[in-house]
Amino acid sequence: MSEPLLSIRGLRAKVEGEDGEILRGVDLDLERGEVHALMGPNGSGKSTLAKVIAGHPAYEVTAGEILFEGEDVLELEPDERSRAGIFLAFQYPAEVPGVSIANFLRTAVNSRLGEGEEMDVFGFQRTLTEKMEMLKMDPGFAARYLNDGFSGGEKKRNEILQMAVLRPALGVLDETDSGLDIDALKIVASGVNRLSEADEALGVLLITHYKRILNYIRPDRVHVMMAGRIAESGGASLADKLEAEGYDWLHRAVAAV
Amino acid sequence: MTAGPAESTLAAADFDTLSGGLTEPEAIAVARAAAWARFTSLPWPTKKSEEWRYTDLTKIGFEALTPVVPAPATAEALSADVREVLGRSGERAGVVVLREGRVAHLELEPEVARSGVVLSSIRDAADRHPEVLRRALLEAQPGPAEEKLWALHLALLGGGYFLYVPRGVEMPAPIHAFHVVERAGTLSSAHSFVYGESGARAAVIDEFFSDDLDAETVSLHGATITGEGGAGIDYVALQRFGRGVKRFSTQHVVAGRDSRVVTFNVALGGDLSRADVTSRLDGPGSDSEMLALWFGDSDQHFDHHTLQHHAAPHAHSDLLFKGALTDAGSSVFRGLIRVDKGAQLTDAYQTNRNLLLSERSHASALPNLEIEADDVRCSHGATIGQVEDGQLFYLMSRGLTRRQAERLLVFGFFDEVLGRLPMEGVRARVREAIEEKIGL
Ligand SMILES: Nc1ncnc2c1ncn2[C@@H]1O[C@H](COP(=O)(O)OP(=O)(O)O)[C@@H](O)[C@H]1O
Ligand SMILES: [Mg+2]
Repeated sequence: MSEPLLSIRGLRAKVEGEDGEILRGVDLDLERGEVHALMGPNGSGKSTLAKVIAGHPAYEVTAGEILFEGEDVLELEPDERSRAGIFLAFQYPAEVPGVSIANFLRTAVNSRLGEGEEMDVFGFQRTLTEKMEMLKMDPGFAARYLNDGFSGGEKKRNEILQMAVLRPALGVLDETDSGLDIDALKIVASGVNRLSEADEALGVLLITHYKRILNYIRPDRVHVMMAGRIAESGGASLADKLEAEGYDWLHRAVAAV
Repeated sequence: MTAGPAESTLAAADFDTLSGGLTEPEAIAVARAAAWARFTSLPWPTKKSEEWRYTDLTKIGFEALTPVVPAPATAEALSADVREVLGRSGERAGVVVLREGRVAHLELEPEVARSGVVLSSIRDAADRHPEVLRRALLEAQPGPAEEKLWALHLALLGGGYFLYVPRGVEMPAPIHAFHVVERAGTLSSAHSFVYGESGARAAVIDEFFSDDLDAETVSLHGATITGEGGAGIDYVALQRFGRGVKRFSTQHVVAGRDSRVVTFNVALGGDLSRADVTSRLDGPGSDSEMLALWFGDSDQHFDHHTLQHHAAPHAHSDLLFKGALTDAGSSVFRGLIRVDKGAQLTDAYQTNRNLLLSERSHASALPNLEIEADDVRCSHGATIGQVEDGQLFYLMSRGLTRRQAERLLVFGFFDEVLGRLPMEGVRARVREAIEEKIGL
């Protein structure tokens, strides 16, 4: 298996039924076991990229390809992508009143079983409890309605809980750090690190605004998105430069092209 | 003599064939004879009447059905399917099994019986408590549009059970009744009679079921539920008939002073399922909660008519009916809050919410108010909507298929109503039946 875990080539996308392109030719390779940070100013297209990877129906891909483990996923439904191993931790997770986290996750785990396979109910319960402990969540949390009335921090933690239970091959974490206080940030970061340790092949695309979380999750690569393109890629030190100098120098560089 | 269909169809039946040659208690014989006379004199309501605009009774071949005649109770062992459900339904104070209306099994916890609670067939009740029975049936006079079916129901009366809870007695657990329909092509009827004296507490779950039947079959049901002063009664009707069955249920609640009566209708099965639910807030301070859920697929049709009749001041009623439809399922909700002139300080709410999962499904919602008092708080509202794309994508992004995601969202939609069901065991049973129908 020499192909990258995720390989994005010349990806262009827009909102279904509208004109302006949001993604204007994105190229990105992510190898198994790597953590990549994707940074960039507000509105540059980071969340759009994340949602297009997950198969959000609001967006139309007009050119390019997304290969996951060498397979083109653009024709796959969101649920097929999920079962194939792609996970998106949403920047703004949907609220689903009336559906408990436990019931939801049980259904999600069930959806991964083959025809005739029975779910191990006790095993599921054990996993759920264990992952909730890892994320320092109250045991009663699983009985709550999915994201219904959750604080920003609870929503983010809930996303990582789902990732921990579903064990994807690729986690796309869209601003999972924003809105978290420093304690919550450390818990979430150590949760992600534990998942990486447990699965050395796990790939992570960490979308963030701030360098802060990169102090806890060390990226192998850092990309900067500007106006729908990857404008710059580099090692972890790129994040330091962005922290010190902001995005202005990149704006100028992009404008100069 | 065992129960059996009358020799003839409804078209050819007269009162004698409908009686099956049985002697029966005077109170029942008189009521049935009068009902039969009324039934034969009334025309079938047509789609021209508001009440039957969306459910065409004239398309049902009543005349060709074989009426099941009233028959005495028998004492059969519990069948395997009933035992199975009971095994998963938590505690209970008694069990009734009715086969096409005939009481085939009846048991009441000895301790509960010693506290004075009566659970019997309607026939036995007619011998021992004719006055209570007569009064409750008289009070349950339906509106003109329902009269024809109600008369037919009463003309076939003889099936059904009678639960009587004396003053101040609190039943420790619900009565679980099973209404089984087994024979295709029949017309049968059963009545649930629930009476709580002042301060009594009672809970009942009526569960209706059949296999899929290969000929048009009609099941009539009536319920009269009375709570005297300060009584508390919870009544659940869980309808999970098989295909081929058309059911009509007329439920009449009378809530006395400071009493609280909860009715909860769940419609899942049958080809057509109609329920007319009336709550009469009869005493000051009375409280009626009316709840319902339905899930229709294929070409199922569900029709719910309600009346919150505030006849006394200071009473409270709250109705929440929610339905979800897929395929070519259809439903109707038609509700009325009626506040009499003297019913000041009424507090009445009526909400109907519909969730459509398919293009071909269709829901109609007709909430209404009729208020003659001037110092009241009333509100009514209805919505018809689809699942939210954002929620659907979120669930699918975790691996749920579109169908699984939609069904889970239906569950979430129903949860608000389920959560208001007071008894944990019954709630679990209802949840399970819904899960089975929705097929998550
Ligand atoms: N569903 C949508 N409808 C309309 N505009 C959208 C939609 N999604 C994204 N956009 C627009 O695309 C641009 C990029 O947005 P987004 O991907 O959320 O950026 P980022 O996550 O980098 O802040 C913004 O101008 C945003 O308004
Ligand atoms: Mg974003």
